[in-house]
Amino acid sequence: MKTTRVFQITALLLVVVSVIQVGWWLYDQQDYSTQKLNAARLSYAREVAAAQALLEAGTPMARVQELLPEVAIVNDRADFATAIDAALVSERHRRINQYAWESGFFLLALALCVGVISRALRAEAKVLQEQDSFLALVSHQFKTPLASLQLSIETMAKRSLSAEQARTLNERMLSDLARMESMVSRILDSVRLERGRLDLKPEAVELATAVGRVVAQFEERAHQEHIALTADVPRGLSVLADPLAVDVVVRNILENALAAVAAVSGGTVRVAARAMDTEVELSIRDSGVGFRATDTQLLFKKFSRLHPGGGSSYYGTGLGLFIVRRMMQLTGGRVSATSAGVGKGALFLLSWPAAPKQTV
Amino acid sequence: MPTTAVRTLVVEDDPHLAAGLTENLRAEGYAVDVAADGRLALEWLREHSCELVVLDVMLPHVDGFTVCRTLRAEGNNTPVLFLTARGDPQDRVLGLEAGGDDYLAKPFHLDEFLLRVRAILRRWEWYRTASSTPASAVLRFGGNEVDFRAFRARSWNGAAQELTEKEAMILKVLAEHPGEIVSREDLLERVWGYDVFPSTRTVDNFILRLRKRFERDPANPIHFLTVWGVGYRFLIEGVS
Repeated sequence: MKTTRVFQITALLLVVVSVIQVGWWLYDQQDYSTQKLNAARLSYAREVAAAQALLEAGTPMARVQELLPEVAIVNDRADFATAIDAALVSERHRRINQYAWESGFFLLALALCVGVISRALRAEAKVLQEQDSFLALVSHQFKTPLASLQLSIETMAKRSLSAEQARTLNERMLSDLARMESMVSRILDSVRLERGRLDLKPEAVELATAVGRVVAQFEERAHQEHIALTADVPRGLSVLADPLAVDVVVRNILENALAAVAAVSGGTVRVAARAMDTEVELSIRDSGVGFRATDTQLLFKKFSRLHPGGGSSYYGTGLGLFIVRRMMQLTGGRVSATSAGVGKGALFLLSWPAAPKQTV
Repeated sequence: MPTTAVRTLVVEDDPHLAAGLTENLRAEGYAVDVAADGRLALEWLREHSCELVVLDVMLPHVDGFTVCRTLRAEGNNTPVLFLTARGDPQDRVLGLEAGGDDYLAKPFHLDEFLLRVRAILRRWEWYRTASSTPASAVLRFGGNEVDFRAFRARSWNGAAQELTEKEAMILKVLAEHPGEIVSREDLLERVWGYDVFPSTRTVDNFILRLRKRFERDPANPIHFLTVWGVGYRFLIEGVS
């Protein structure tokens, strides 16, 4: 950020100095060309005077015209040829115009270069800032399950636990490990997505099976957090997408929905699917914290984490929905989200191209 | 282990961590309530009293620093132990200046957590014992009158003052040693615990606050005197 600021100030000074320099050039050129014009006019006046003197000395008009062809001689009188003066004035204008255009182009090129470099530096600073914020966030996200894990292990070492208490601690530790594993997967997914290293191969994916597998993994958690998680996906609906991408997308959307409902101490998450014309639509409706309509675009942005009541929050890595959108874009699908407002739940719609019947 | 159940409130949005802390505090004999976010914590603390709040910093709705500042602004002096994933010195100072008593970075050792809980409660117990008699509960100096039990004071110009827990504790330590030099380190150890602050500068800020409250000319103090390079000397009669 400091480098960018230094560059911006230096560039501004450079532009200001350049504008002053160009202004001086133009002024100098105008002054110089005026002097040249006056000198040419004086010289021409001398020629006219010389022609007149020759005429008055009896030199034949033809001879005078031959010696001084640029002087107009009419009725034995030498005079200024208006075309010559006009040509001198025109030449002066041409030179000044030429300098003005060249200076303008120079300034424009300079401003463009400064703009391009400044933009590149700003973008770089933003990336660095995002990376810093990402690292801070990731470290926070890891430290919480890590703290829980350490606490559980030290509790086991320090206390005499009943079999039931030991089982609870074991489950808690496994869950903390699963959380950390899930975070690592998300981070890796987002890095691969950004670098285009995901090799996605569309094939027919039976949605009921794919969704059922993910839902089953969340049932225990939903139960613990007082969330009624239901899935109503008819058999036979198949989409044309990469199976891994479908799994990742559904998992991320479900995790998001469960977190949103857990934040209001329980509720419902309903998954449903239906066939459209050439697509299959999967809907995930939750009764969670919802979001403001103005935050809809922010939802899918990298590192954006929305607080239920507005503002920032430390829920999630800020990568889940970013991964969802990128995955959907890469597999020819679409994702959208709507909410009636904060505290009113949310609806996520995922659409994929329907798989041709014969490939099922 | 406490003889009677000391009541504590754990404010933590992570259910696993909250459960782990609760189980261990209960195993040590404390009574524990849990709040999952800052708003619930404030609501709970407005309706109940407890002797220690274990407060996560990054909470939904209202963050831990704001919870602590709000409590102090409302005159609630319940000791606060911050728990947070952000353990850099700046955050520690921010937390302690928000009115916190101690700061523990995640992940932490269970024994260290319990040690800090006990240390906070011990400091608090010392303060209560040291202010238990009518004579020790009130301090009069230079026209000022301080009620340690109510955390209230009336300054020399008649202005009513609400003291924070730390201001009252610092004043208490100084009042226990009138005329003696008390080092910054001693103040830190007695009031916060020696390893809490990255520097002793925060003590200086609290002394400045006390001077503003009780000195007629805070720029030329006669009661709270700085002993350069060492600490402070408190004079009840003031410098003549």
